[in-house]
Order: sequence, then C-alpha cells, then structure tokens
Amino acid sequence: MDFKNINDILDFAIKNEQQAADFYYKLSNDSVEKQMKETFLAFAKEEEGHKARITKVKESGEYTLEEKKVLDLKLGDYLVPAKTSEKMTYQEALILAMKREKAAYKLYMKLSEIAPNDTLKNLFKGLANEEAKHKLRFEIEYDDIIYAEN
Amino acid sequence: MDITDYLKEERNKEWRKTLRANIKPKDRTAIEKVKMPEENPNIRNTNNIEVNKGLTKEQALIEASRCLDCADPTCIKGCPVNINIPKFIKNIENNDFLAAAATIKETNSFPAVCGRVCPQEIQCEEQCFYTQKLHLPSVAIGYLERFAADFERNSGKISVPEVSYKNNIKIAVIGGGPAGLATATDLIKLGYDVTIFEALHEIGGVLKYGIPEFRLPNEIVDIEVNNLTKMGVKFVKNFIVGKTASFDDLRNEGFKAFFVASGAGLPNFMNILGENSINIFSSNEYLTRINLMNAAKTQFDTPVFSGKNVAVIGGGNTAMDSVRTAKRLGAERAMIIYRRSREEMPARIEEVKHAIEEGIEFLNLHNPIEYIADENRKVKAMKLQKMELGEPDSSGRRRPIPIDGAIETIDVDTVVVAVGVSPNPLIPRNLSNLQVSKWGTIIVNENMQSSVEDIFAGGDIVRGGATVILAMGDGRRAALGINEFIKSKIKA
Repeated sequence: MDFKNINDILDFAIKNEQQAADFYYKLSNDSVEKQMKETFLAFAKEEEGHKARITKVKESGEYTLEEKKVLDLKLGDYLVPAKTSEKMTYQEALILAMKREKAAYKLYMKLSEIAPNDTLKNLFKGLANEEAKHKLRFEIEYDDIIYAEN
Repeated sequence: MDITDYLKEERNKEWRKTLRANIKPKDRTAIEKVKMPEENPNIRNTNNIEVNKGLTKEQALIEASRCLDCADPTCIKGCPVNINIPKFIKNIENNDFLAAAATIKETNSFPAVCGRVCPQEIQCEEQCFYTQKLHLPSVAIGYLERFAADFERNSGKISVPEVSYKNNIKIAVIGGGPAGLATATDLIKLGYDVTIFEALHEIGGVLKYGIPEFRLPNEIVDIEVNNLTKMGVKFVKNFIVGKTASFDDLRNEGFKAFFVASGAGLPNFMNILGENSINIFSSNEYLTRINLMNAAKTQFDTPVFSGKNVAVIGGGNTAMDSVRTAKRLGAERAMIIYRRSREEMPARIEEVKHAIEEGIEFLNLHNPIEYIADENRKVKAMKLQKMELGEPDSSGRRRPIPIDGAIETIDVDTVVVAVGVSPNPLIPRNLSNLQVSKWGTIIVNENMQSSVEDIFAGGDIVRGGATVILAMGDGRRAALGINEFIKSKIKA
C-alpha cells in the first residue's frame, strides 16, 4: 500500500467499504432464508452508508474524522470466527460483522503507525475510529440479544 | 358488561361492603406483610423438596385483610391475564377459599403454577396501592394465589369449568407449555375441539423441563393439566409438527386453525474458545435431563455429569435453577458467573435470596472468555475477564465493560451456559410464507395472527424468551383471535 496523499488514503477507505458491501450483497444473494437475505442486504447498505460518509469527507476537503475514544466491549475479541455459508444464523452474521470491523480497525491503526506525517496519522486514526463505531453497533446488538440473561 | 362495570358490581356486593366495614383502612395498613415459610437452607440444598412451604390458613387470613379492596384496583392492570385480584383476596378474608380459587380460575386455569413462578413483584404487586402510594410492601398477591389454589387442590374439590357447547371445529395447538395450555383452556370453553401436539413425552413445556421441582413440583403441573383433560382437551405427545406431520397434513385432517406455541428451546451459547469441551452444557440440556429424564438418578440410563466445581454462566432465573440444581447434585462449589452486579440480575429477588442461603457463590462482574480442557477434552478451567459497569444500556441495566488486563483462571469441572435462549427454529424455518424476524421469532398482529391466516402464535416463539404469565396472556389473546378468525370464515 503506497499512499502519496490524503486522497489516496480516502480512495483506499472508499474501496474497502465497497468491498465490504459487495461481500454482504453476495451473502444476501447466497442465503437460503428470507430474513437472512434481508439481514445481509441491510449490512451491505450500512457499508455503503460508511462509503458515502468517507466520500463526502473527500469531496468537502475537510479531513476531520472524530478521534474521540469509542467504547470497546471486546465481545468480538473472544468469539470464535463464524464460517460463511448459505445457512448462517443471525448470531453468526453478527460475529462475522464484528470480526470484519475489528480487522478493518486494526488495519487503519497499523497504517496510522507507519504513516509518514501527523496529518496522515490522524486521518488513519479517524478512519479506525469509524470502524470501531461500526463494531460497537454490532457488539451492542449481540450483547442485548444473545447475552440477554448475562 | 365491560370490565369496569363488572368489577364495580362485584365490589358493591353486600359481603364485600361488610368486609370493608369490618376493619378500618389504617388498621389494615398497619399489619406487617406475611413471610413465606421456607425449608431449612442447609437441608433443602441436599434434596428436591419445594423450598417455599406455602402460607398457613392463619397467615393467609391476616395477609388477605391487608388488602384495601380499592375502588380502582390497579393490581389487575399489572396482571397479564387480568385476574380479579381483590375479589379472590376478599374471598380468602371471608374464609371462602374455594370461592377464591374459582375467582382466579375465571381467567387463569393455572393458579398453583402462577402462584409459584410468576414474577408478581414486577407485575400485580408492583401496581398494588401499597407499593405505588404508601411505599410499603405490597399485599402478597402471589402467596395468596398459591394458597387458594393449594387449598382447593388439597380439599379434593377442584372445580373444573363445565363445557356444554361443542361446535366440532378442530383447532391444533402446537406446544404444551404455558401459552399452548392457556389457549387450549379458552378455546375448549368456546366449544372448539382442541388438540395439543407436544414434542416431548410430558405436557407442561418449560414448566416441566425448565423449572426444577424444588421451585415447582411436577405433580402441581400434572394436576392443573389434568383439569384440561377433564374439560375435553386432547393431548398428543411425542409429536413434532413440522416433522411428524406437516401443517398441510393436519389441514387435511380437518384442523381449521393453528396456535404455534413451540417456545424458546434453542439455547444461546457464547461462541468462545473451548465451549465445545465435554461437560459444558446448555441450561436447557442440563435442566431437561435432570427435571424430565431423571438423569441424576443412578437407576436411569441417561446420566448427566454434574461435578464438584460447577460454574453457571448468567444471572437469570434459569441460571439460578441450574446452579441450585448443581448444589443439590453434590457440587462443593456451585458458582454463578455473571457479567454485571447483583442489582442488574434479571432473576427474581427471591430466587437470588434462596440461592445465597443455599451456599451458592456469586462471581459477579466476571465474564468467561475461554475454556481450557484436559487431554480427554473435558473442561478443567475457565478464563474470566473482570468487568466494571459503564452507562445504562437499552434494558436500563448498566453495561459491563472489560477491565484491561484483569483476567483470572479458575478450576471448573462442569459448566452450564444460561445466558439466554432463542426461539425454536423448526416451524419458522419450515414455512416459507411465514413472516419471521431476523432473530427467528414469528411476527404476529395484535390478535396473535401470523402472516399465514390460519396460523396464530404466542409465548416465547413470538417474544423470544419471557415469563410464564406473559405467555399465558398471549395464549388467551390468541384464543379470541382464533375465534374471530373462525367466525369470519363461517360468515364468508
């Protein structure tokens, strides 16, 4: 990954979000059950929502992505990864989504560490923070439903 | 007559007026709330005898006299099946215990069950005038309900509503748990030919497989179920609708409507490392095998291993039932592992109190993150993440947050996972035109009717895991819905 300027980074992030959306579109298409088709479709739309947000940042030229620390429930950290299949349950879908968001978070944090200057570092951190927020949204749903009595 | 007029008319009867005049309200409110007699904790934790012994006649009379017989009985609003609470309590005060039981049975055919397992403290008793206005302990409505039901049963004069009218229209109820039993009761009274199809070999659903005998003796359930048999409800056991026969098969046999009450029998696991190790059970399996299949008794051939160091994950009633069962099966350490603090526990206060008395250890603010197995793949230890409480979540409980680096390992030889349950997936997955939520619950309208017009549903298959009495409330609403549906079909 060779980033010459801020736009390269944002293009990379936009591409990442589209890839995530495509991944969920495929799962939606492959799923046997109607409600899981709808679930993955909704996940895909969420990813496209993230893409739109980053695209807006790029177009506006205002590179301020929030850096406030996002709550990390760390649920995803200890869950066994879910395997993709045409018969995934909603629980497995949430695990999959959490793990993907965490991986994206780690990637951006790694890139922020090796970024050559503070502007780029901060932008990567901001993008990592966005992924942390997405993960938290899935963790909260998992927490509320699967751990209802815990 | 609408419900308000009915309550008013009942309240204005002479015997109620006389009773009210007998004791001044300030003298009634000065009476201390009765205490439920209980078995000795150090003895009961070695056997299966029911913990709560029930009120004596003298206690019931005194407690009943605390009830003010309010003009606006808010307690009824807190009851999902709208029992005429003041009327049954005043019948107790009037020494007419059979009339008290009959009053409860006007709207609830399972008073001995509900008197034992309903969370009255967050339902009728929470709405009691004492709680709301006087900020005093409520009238012990649940204890009194149980007293009336037990008195009737022990008297040998159990009243069974007479079912004289029969319309010969066949209705299938799928699942013999609280929701299914409640629907069947109301439908049979309306004249329908009702058959309950039950997957297991016993009727009662969660009342039998989920709740241990020390909290709800099976005999109590059997007697109340038997009343339904007397009323004409038919039971078909070991029959799985969706496997043994399809909905179409049953339609061909003449069933005109269905009530799906297949419950939340699918346990949630946490999906953490090592959770597949031997001797890690779901609470559903652990309790079912012990409660329903005699697994803890050596003379039966389906033994369940229950070790010396037992950890139960969760803080609900099912977790309390599991951990107290483990103690009774000989655990030296029977522990609750719960992510939050005692204040956030979903279990009833009484169950937590009983567990503490019986020597259960509570590792609150701890969450399992990994299980470690020995060379035979049997669980031998678990890693626990210590937690602290953050901001309240959507349930109003403070959300647990892991404390960085605070991880400890404890020895365990048995683990029971009781973090929650999901709806039984068989029917939702097998009917393509049935509208189902992403969590697998059946979506219904206000009449409990699903997207398939002759299929109604209620209880945990709709709610995803709730209380016995809420399931019964669903069942009663569904019976009305089914009746309307059949009437509309006849008209058409």
